[in-house]
Amino acid sequence: MVGRDITIGQYLARDTSLHELDPRLKVISVVVGTVMIFLYPSGWALLAFAGLLVITMVASRLPLVPVLRSLRTVWVIVLITALLQLFLTPGEVLVRWGFVTITDSGLYNGIIFSARVVILVLLLAALTMTTPPLKLADALESLLKPLSYIKVPVARVTTVVSITLMFIPNILEQSRKVIRAQMARGADFESANVFRRVRDIIPVLVPLFVKVFHDADELAMAMDARSYRGGVGRSRLDPMHIGMRELLLTCLFIGLSVGLFFVF
Amino acid sequence: MWGVRGGDGVRNRMTAALGKRVGGETRAEDRATVPAGPDAGVDEIVVEGLSYAYPGACEDALSGVDLRFERGRYYSLLGRNGSGKSTLARCLNALLVPTRGTVTSCGLDTCEPLDIPDIRQRLAMVFQDPDTQIVGITVEDEVAFGPENLGLAPDVIRERVDSAMELAGIAHLAKRQPLRLSQGQKQLVAIAGALAMEPAFLISDESTSMLDHASRRRIVDLLTTLAGRGVGVIHVTHFLEEASTADEVVVLEAGRVAAVGAPAQVLADPSRVMELGLDPLPVTQVGKELAALGHRLPGGILTVEELLAWLRS
Amino acid sequence: MAAILTLESVSYSYPLPGEGESAALDGIDLQVERGEIVCVAGPNGSGKSTLAQVCAGLLVPSSGRLLFDGRRVESRAELRGLRQRIGMVFQSPEDQLFAGTVTADIAFGPRNHGLRGAELEKRVRSAATIVDLSLERFGERSPFSLSEGEKRRVALAGVLALEPDVLVLDEPFIGLDHDGREHLKAALERYRERRETSVLVVTHDLADTWRLADRFALLSGGRLVRVESSRELVSGYDLGSLDMRLPQWGVLARELVSGGSEVADPADPAELARAIASILEARHGG
Repeated sequence: MVGRDITIGQYLARDTSLHELDPRLKVISVVVGTVMIFLYPSGWALLAFAGLLVITMVASRLPLVPVLRSLRTVWVIVLITALLQLFLTPGEVLVRWGFVTITDSGLYNGIIFSARVVILVLLLAALTMTTPPLKLADALESLLKPLSYIKVPVARVTTVVSITLMFIPNILEQSRKVIRAQMARGADFESANVFRRVRDIIPVLVPLFVKVFHDADELAMAMDARSYRGGVGRSRLDPMHIGMRELLLTCLFIGLSVGLFFVF
Repeated sequence: MWGVRGGDGVRNRMTAALGKRVGGETRAEDRATVPAGPDAGVDEIVVEGLSYAYPGACEDALSGVDLRFERGRYYSLLGRNGSGKSTLARCLNALLVPTRGTVTSCGLDTCEPLDIPDIRQRLAMVFQDPDTQIVGITVEDEVAFGPENLGLAPDVIRERVDSAMELAGIAHLAKRQPLRLSQGQKQLVAIAGALAMEPAFLISDESTSMLDHASRRRIVDLLTTLAGRGVGVIHVTHFLEEASTADEVVVLEAGRVAAVGAPAQVLADPSRVMELGLDPLPVTQVGKELAALGHRLPGGILTVEELLAWLRS
Repeated sequence: MAAILTLESVSYSYPLPGEGESAALDGIDLQVERGEIVCVAGPNGSGKSTLAQVCAGLLVPSSGRLLFDGRRVESRAELRGLRQRIGMVFQSPEDQLFAGTVTADIAFGPRNHGLRGAELEKRVRSAATIVDLSLERFGERSPFSLSEGEKRRVALAGVLALEPDVLVLDEPFIGLDHDGREHLKAALERYRERRETSVLVVTHDLADTWRLADRFALLSGGRLVRVESSRELVSGYDLGSLDMRLPQWGVLARELVSGGSEVADPADPAELARAIASILEARHGG
């Protein structure tokens, strides 16, 4: 049994209104939000949007701590890019130590950039934590349906995406097991010697690939046996439907997000 | 490979899974449930002269197999690893197509590509590894997967899911995540998923192999109940205990049928059982020793309970 | 002579995300003698896999002491050293195969510990013999071209090639048919005989090791409830409370013993038959 959760905004099984919300509306909101995050001209707009996001999450009773935890995985990238902005942007110099300079624009850009990334991560986390991968795939399939009229194989693509998503926990579990087994045979994954560590990747990658391909085969067979034929003609136990209230609230969210662009 | 003659295994699997149809489309409305009709053809699986060789293999995995399975009976399919039992199971629901001979499932020929969807609806299957057959995020979703593929209306799906879960005894797990359940529970979910198809036959391809004793017991009890309700159950296993309560036992060896009959006949001789690569029932081994000492056990005693009951009388 | 492996009040708990800690093991006292085959049995969730990993030096106990050959094992370096002396075989060991040839895969373990040349070759041969795998036939083949049973033997050989003093196997019988089980039991016996090594087999079903183990250590809820031989198990203890069951042999033996019969070895069909025969003869005689 899996004892630990992989938190990269992983789905959290709770009962919030965001969970109930039609995934298509969520995807559209996130797309709009993402675009706006990078369009907002000022820090105030970003702040206001962040506020809007937090209010939405709180109002729907989504626990904030797990959402914040998803920042753990990106803080390194954020820090590095922020520092780059900080030290390399030309402008009015504020501080100087030797050849390192910090300018006012550098400071401003650094902060703004970090803020954009952080808010983006929170937005995405809100999506992935409240929407299981298969529902996301359903939403994508539905939204991209118009493309199928110009011969884009939407159903197949989303099938592949869903299956891949379903496999992630499997792959992680398998790699854990293989690493453990090879460690028990003396493979050293903590060695200071870089060559040793690289060489010891093979005893992990090869069996991992073999097992994952094998499992994929088995899954495909099981799906076949259950009459799966791609997205064609499939119905749903729980069909997606958009209620008036949901639609209005989503429009409100989108409206505000876009509106902030003009206000600030 | 599966459902299509020859070809590369993985590629064909993916193609099949992605819905490349051989022939025309079938609409949701055309999918009907299988009525329990009096027509003999619909209620049995007939295997005639079945041979199957995996692509690239020099030997047949199955060789000239003749068998018959009827609805409402519990069959146990035994054999050592490599004897062909899984191969046979997969030939029944057209996951594999005969190299020679025929398999007629519920009146439909497995070699006929257009009939495959119907066959798969009437012959449901659960597999050995509880983890690699799960697709849903909740137990309900998982059980609904099959009916959803048939394009049934949501309220019909709901009904089927509820009754399948009820039958499998997992209704209380409806909203749980299947991957977090115990191995035994996962298999019950898999069986519920199969039952939601309202199949005529349920094929269990070693579904108990990886489970602990208590879970195995539960699954076998469920399978027995299902047989009592008119589903044809074909349970592939290498545990003889599970075969001792079957209506009929089929033993495969090197791709051929080595023995067919009631458990009391087929499983009674421990030496013969061992020759076939199976673990003989302890009681039969004791019985053999007893015979050497001059006491014969009456035929039909396969479990310790039966032995003790006889001893007391 | 000191036991090869001793656990003194060993406990292990692991952190659960957001919910504090879960105690997998609670105050375990266990001694494994040299040359002994011990079966660690318990229902799912009893902590037996955790116990196996603690014994193999893969998990660090939260409290308590681990002694190997009479000496305490505590530091990281000592634990890593322990891994060399204790070989762990996980469930589905064939999932770890990776090398181009069978020989190379078996050699992986000892090679990691610095062995080369003739010594390495000797180890590989020795391990292959114990699992009854012919290097002439299989040595140069890819492990992926073998049958499931053969793969498993290669994986087992890979651990045996380390020549551990204690072999720990986690549910090794799952998925094996009769041939597979007999092969495995024979290999374990051979290994034990060769080097007076000990074997720890973790299982949920006593039937698997009924005729193999010298003693059975029963786990329930992380605690070691009982350590007994099959004979002792049959004469008294009620396993039902542990959510476990005696194998068919044991049930029969218990009935006979409680009825007054003498059963020296509850794993021997001949013994059981003899006991039954005497009952029958007594009946007809009297």
